[in-house]
Order: sequence, then C-alpha cells, then structure tokens
Amino acid sequence: MAIEGDVGSGLIAIGAGLAVGLTGLGAGMAEKDVGAAAVGAITEDPTIFGKAMIFMVLPETIVIFGLVIAIMGIFVM
Amino acid sequence: MSLPESMSRIVVVGTKSRMEEAIEAFYSAKALHLIDHTTGTDDMSIGAPLPTNSKASERLLKVRAMEKELGVGKTTETARVSVEEIRDQISSGSVESTEAEILKVLDARNDLNQRITELNAKKKSLEILATIPVDLELYSGYKSLAVIVGTVKEDPSEALKSLADSEAFVSFKKKAGGVAAVFVKTEDKDRAASILSEYGFTEIAVPEGKGPVSEALLLADEGLADLYAKLESVEKEVEALRMKHKTFLRASDEELSIEIEKGEVPLRIAVGEYSYIMDSWVPTNKFQSVAAELESRLGNDIHVEFEETRGRNLHEEEEAEERFKKVPTKSNNGVIAKEFEYATSLVSTPKYQEIDPSVLIMFFLPLFFGFMIGDCGYAIPFIILGAYGLKVTHHKDWRAIATVLFFGGIWAFMFGFFFFGEALGMHFIGHWEPPLNITWEGLLGIHLPEWFSGIMIDDHGISKLGIHVGMLLKLSVYVGIVHLLIGYVCGYLNIRRQHDNKHAFMEKGGWIIMFTGMVVFCYSLTQMLFDSAPLEGMVMYLLAAGLVMTVVGVVITSRVEGIMAILELPGIVGNILSYTRLAAIGMSKAGMAMAFNYIVFGMIMGMGETVVWPGIGFLVIGLLLFAFLHLVVWTLGILSAGLHALRLQFVELMTKFFEGGGIRYEPLKVKRVKTILTQAKADKEV
Repeated sequence: MAIEGDVGSGLIAIGAGLAVGLTGLGAGMAEKDVGAAAVGAITEDPTIFGKAMIFMVLPETIVIFGLVIAIMGIFVM
Repeated sequence: MSLPESMSRIVVVGTKSRMEEAIEAFYSAKALHLIDHTTGTDDMSIGAPLPTNSKASERLLKVRAMEKELGVGKTTETARVSVEEIRDQISSGSVESTEAEILKVLDARNDLNQRITELNAKKKSLEILATIPVDLELYSGYKSLAVIVGTVKEDPSEALKSLADSEAFVSFKKKAGGVAAVFVKTEDKDRAASILSEYGFTEIAVPEGKGPVSEALLLADEGLADLYAKLESVEKEVEALRMKHKTFLRASDEELSIEIEKGEVPLRIAVGEYSYIMDSWVPTNKFQSVAAELESRLGNDIHVEFEETRGRNLHEEEEAEERFKKVPTKSNNGVIAKEFEYATSLVSTPKYQEIDPSVLIMFFLPLFFGFMIGDCGYAIPFIILGAYGLKVTHHKDWRAIATVLFFGGIWAFMFGFFFFGEALGMHFIGHWEPPLNITWEGLLGIHLPEWFSGIMIDDHGISKLGIHVGMLLKLSVYVGIVHLLIGYVCGYLNIRRQHDNKHAFMEKGGWIIMFTGMVVFCYSLTQMLFDSAPLEGMVMYLLAAGLVMTVVGVVITSRVEGIMAILELPGIVGNILSYTRLAAIGMSKAGMAMAFNYIVFGMIMGMGETVVWPGIGFLVIGLLLFAFLHLVVWTLGILSAGLHALRLQFVELMTKFFEGGGIRYEPLKVKRVKTILTQAKADKEV
C-alpha cells in the first residue's frame, strides 16, 4: 500500500500518538499507587468512597492534557 | 440554593414517673434529634435503662441465637405480624417455650452429629487395619505382651526381624504408605517403638470389638447409614421448626430491638430523682406541632421549651455550648434531588451552614452523562433500565444508579436526536459513503422528510468524529467554565452566609476574579495562537483585561492563602481542560461504534457504493454480531460516562465550595419491617 499524504501530517500523527500514549502511561503509573491505597481504604471504611475517588482520579488529568494536545495536533494544526 | 432545613433547639422537661410514656411520645413525634447529655454540666446525671430492658435483652439474645441456629436472617421471607400479637406472644413467654422446643431438636441434632464423627473416626481406623489379618479382640488383653499398631511411611519389615520372640504384621504399598502391627514382649516395647519411629510411625488406637476387621467395618457402615437416616429426619424437623417459627423470630427480634432502643433513651438524657430533662433538635417548622403533640399526650407532666433557632452564621456556632455546637443536617430536597443525596453522601454529609450540592448534582450529573453518551440507540435502553430500576428497587445504592441511568438516558436521547442526530453510531441523515459515512438513510435506502433534518442542528447533526471535533472540544470547555463558575459562586454564598460579605470576597471573590481573568486571558491567547489573530483591537484588550484580573485575583487570594494562590493558577487551566473529557469520551464511544459498524456491514454487505443486502444466513449472523458489539459499547458507556460524570461533580465542582463533615439528622423513630401497627394502636403509638 502506497503511503499517502505529506511527511508533516505523518509527524503530527506520530506526535499525537506519543502525546496520548506517554501521558496514558504516566497517568497509569500514578494511579496505580493511589488506586491500590484507595481500594484498601474503602475496604476498611466504605463511607469514604467519594473522597477516595477524588484522590484516585487526580492523576487522570495528565492524560486529558495529552488527549487535548493530540486532538489539537490533528484537527487544529 | 438548597440549604439544609432550619433547626431549632428545644428542652423537654417532665416527671420521671411518666418517663416511659414520654419516650413513646418522643418516638411517635418522629422529629426529635436527641442531644446526648454529658454528665458534669449540671447536677443531673444520665439515667438508667428502663426496668423492662434487662428481660428484653435476655429474650433478644435468645431470639438471635435461635435465628442463627435455624439460619433465619434479614433476607428470609416472612409474613408480617401485628404489633399487639407479637407483644402478647412475647409477654406470654413464647420466646422461652420456642427456645425449649428448638433446643430439644437442636440437641438431638448435635448428639447425632457427634456420634457420626466418632463412628467415622472408628471406621477410618478400621479401614487402616483391614489389611492386617488379625481379629480385633487379639489386639488387647495380654499380660506379658505389648501391642504397637500404627501407620508407617516406609517399609519396616526388615528392621523388625531383629526383634526376638516377636510377631510383626506389616502391609505396605510404596505410594500409599502402610500399616504395621507388632506384638512384642513388654520389656522390648521401647526397642520396637524406637525401630518403628525411624520409619515415620504414627500410632493409632485400635477400636474395641470382636471378630475380623472386615465384619467390624460392615457394622460401622450400617451404624453410619442408620445415623445419617436419623440425622436426615432431624434436619427435616429443624427445617419444619424454621418454617414454623421464622415469622415469630423475625418479628420478635424487631419488636425486642425496638423495645430495647426505647428503653435505652434514659441513658442519653439527664434524669434526676423526680424529673428528666432532654435537649433535642427539631426542624423549626415542626416545633409547634411537636410541642402540641407532647403536651396533649402527657398534659401537665411535660413542659416543652423553645431555646433557639440556629442561624447559618458560624458566630452562633462558636458561642454555643460544646454539645450544642453541631447542628444535625436535614436535607431539604425535592423528590428527584433526594435520589442524588446518596452521591453527596459518598463524599460527606453537608454541614448545617452550607449549600447541599445534591441539587447541582441532580442537574449536571445526568446532563454530562447524557452528553457523553449522546446517542439515541444507547439512550433508550438506559431509559428503560433506569425506569425499571426506579420501579422495583428500594436499596439506596441501586436507586441512585437507576436515577442517573433514567435521567441521563433522557438527556442522552435529547442530545443524540437533536444535537448529534445519530443512533448506534450512525447518523440518521446522509449519503451512504462507507467506511466513514454510514447512515440510517443509506442503510435502509429511504429518504427522510425535510422537516426531520430541520429539527437537527446543522441539518444532519454534529459528527463526533470529523469536522466538528474542534467545536465539541470548545463546547466542553465552555460547559466547564460555567460549571466551575457555579462552584465558585456557591463557595462565595457559603462564606457570605457563614461570615459576611467581606470574608466571602477575600476568600472566594478573589478566586472568582482570578478564574474569570484566566478564562479571558486564555481565550485571547488561543485566538492568537490558533486563529492567528493579530495582537490588536479586541484581542489585545481582552488579553490585557484578563491579565489584570488574574493579577488582582491572585493578590486578593494571596492575602488569605499566601503563595499558594500563584501555584493554583495552572490548576485552574487544568480544571477547565478536564472538561474536555466530555467530548473525548463521546468521541471514543463514537469511534468504537463506527469501527464495529464497519466490521459488521463490511462483513455482511461489503463496503460498496450501494447497499447490497446479503442472504438470510449472513444477515442473522451480522445482526447478532451487531447487537453484541453495540452491547459492549453500551456497557462500557455506563462505566466510563457514569464515572467521569460523577468525577466532574466530585473533583471539579464540589471542591470549590463543599466542605462536608456535618452530622446526619437522625430523629427518634421506629422503623418496622416485619411488624405492623394495627389501626387502633397507631393512633396512640409509633
């Protein structure tokens, strides 16, 4: 299959992929620790589910940033 | 905004001789949140439980023990009993007579179980001995001979030959191990034991009996079968008892628990020699009716005095006596918002002085959920499931989920129809241009009327994957700004109510200015960067205004929060960008749906310019696959859209104003499940 399009858009696509992939890894690494602790804490006291969830999802913002950059790269640039 | 209900503090004073009656009256008022008395504030100390309590506790203990033995629990299906009936039964000694009846059968069962265990142990020993050709009576009854019997792990026959004047029976199999029986002179016993111990010897006791082991084994088997038959009949008796008494047990458990709870009220209030004093909170609007009810039932033997109606200002809390400081929170929500109180309670109970976020969650949670799903095809099952859930379930967790699914489903349908114009990942309107443009019109080969496209945005709806992506992202950011601003304003209102305008301005006003400044600043910045607008005119003014507002906001906030205010600036951008997940999750769902549609339609009809319907076999397989794949998207939708919508409330919105840590309003009242009140009693009692 022949490669279509110019090198620039290819680079943008690679960049977008990297942005989502790497931030995803980062968020995952951060959430792993928080999540394990949160599950432990909820087992002890189920009433703190909400608070545990707040801490649990904090690192997720990283991947949102990555996604925004990727989408901007593809659709805006 | 919805604040918790206004509460008033009252003092109830009465004569001790009619305290029991008064406690009944407190329970029937269903509005008194008791304030525990602390000894030492005056000369009164806490009272003792009502005299009937010890008997009731004893009975409850018996009932619970019986319930445990018979396997009767909360989930057991039982009939409902009237309160009078169960009270009569309890007072006439039914608990004791039932216990005697049940104990008799249970004892028999325990006895049988014990005998079965013993016989099983005997059988096991016999099975081990079965390979040795010695009758049972020959193992014992010697004066000068010692008998050692047991299992071995290795074959000891060779070593045992060294013993003089002895007889050894060894049966050994390489893998299963073996058994050895050694008959030696009494003085050689120790030597024999030490030889055997090298071969992994474990002594066993030889059961008493006569004749060959195989016969004894048969006897044991017969005995066991007999015992099992007996046990079975006893189990049937137990089951019959369970069926007979389960209703009585559950009902008396409930009735006795209620009696004990009421009997323990004196432990929480001040009781003197002739009188008692009780402090409690009541909802302000119920004070009159509560006072009237108590006085009408107890006449001159009770006096209800109004103490204060607590305002929302924190000054009042600080000035109050320690045990009157915290006011219980009674949520003041409508029917729908009530279902969302559970979501709030997952974080914390709101304080008496702050806005209950349930109303905001009621509005935004389903809205965000619906926006992220944004598809008619997925919305309809959500609505049906939610409505069904609301109809059948009473458990608060499930009700909360069903509510979100129902209202979220309605929003999803609205968005899916009018805004996105799609169902199951396919637009209603458009040409059949696979793989990117798969539409219902093209698929079904019809042309929908003009008015149909007229009611949709942009004639055929917004496409989540394609030209409208930028617009969706912007929209989510704008939604985020509004959502966050509501959070900040609620925070401002909270502080203003708790302190005054000046405090509110310093603590939250600064934030609002800083937030607005950042928004304006970032807006003009994006204009410059993405739309390459030159730095002049409107853009320049906006940029400058934004910058000034941000700086002013930071200065104001830093007076309260110090240097942290500057560090929070990127946090504001992060908070806003966090809302892009609204678009992103919608897109990911649409992407999955598109891929699955491509797989299904590519498989059954190829991806040609025109729709070619396949044979019936392919069509059925294709439709099954279609249903399964979309079920996957739908299920993932509950998890991702639901959790992310909830997260936006918890993390982004509620952290802006919600503190929590209030105490829940728990009035004295009785909840009956298994016992019911007959009408005659209901007038006088709970």
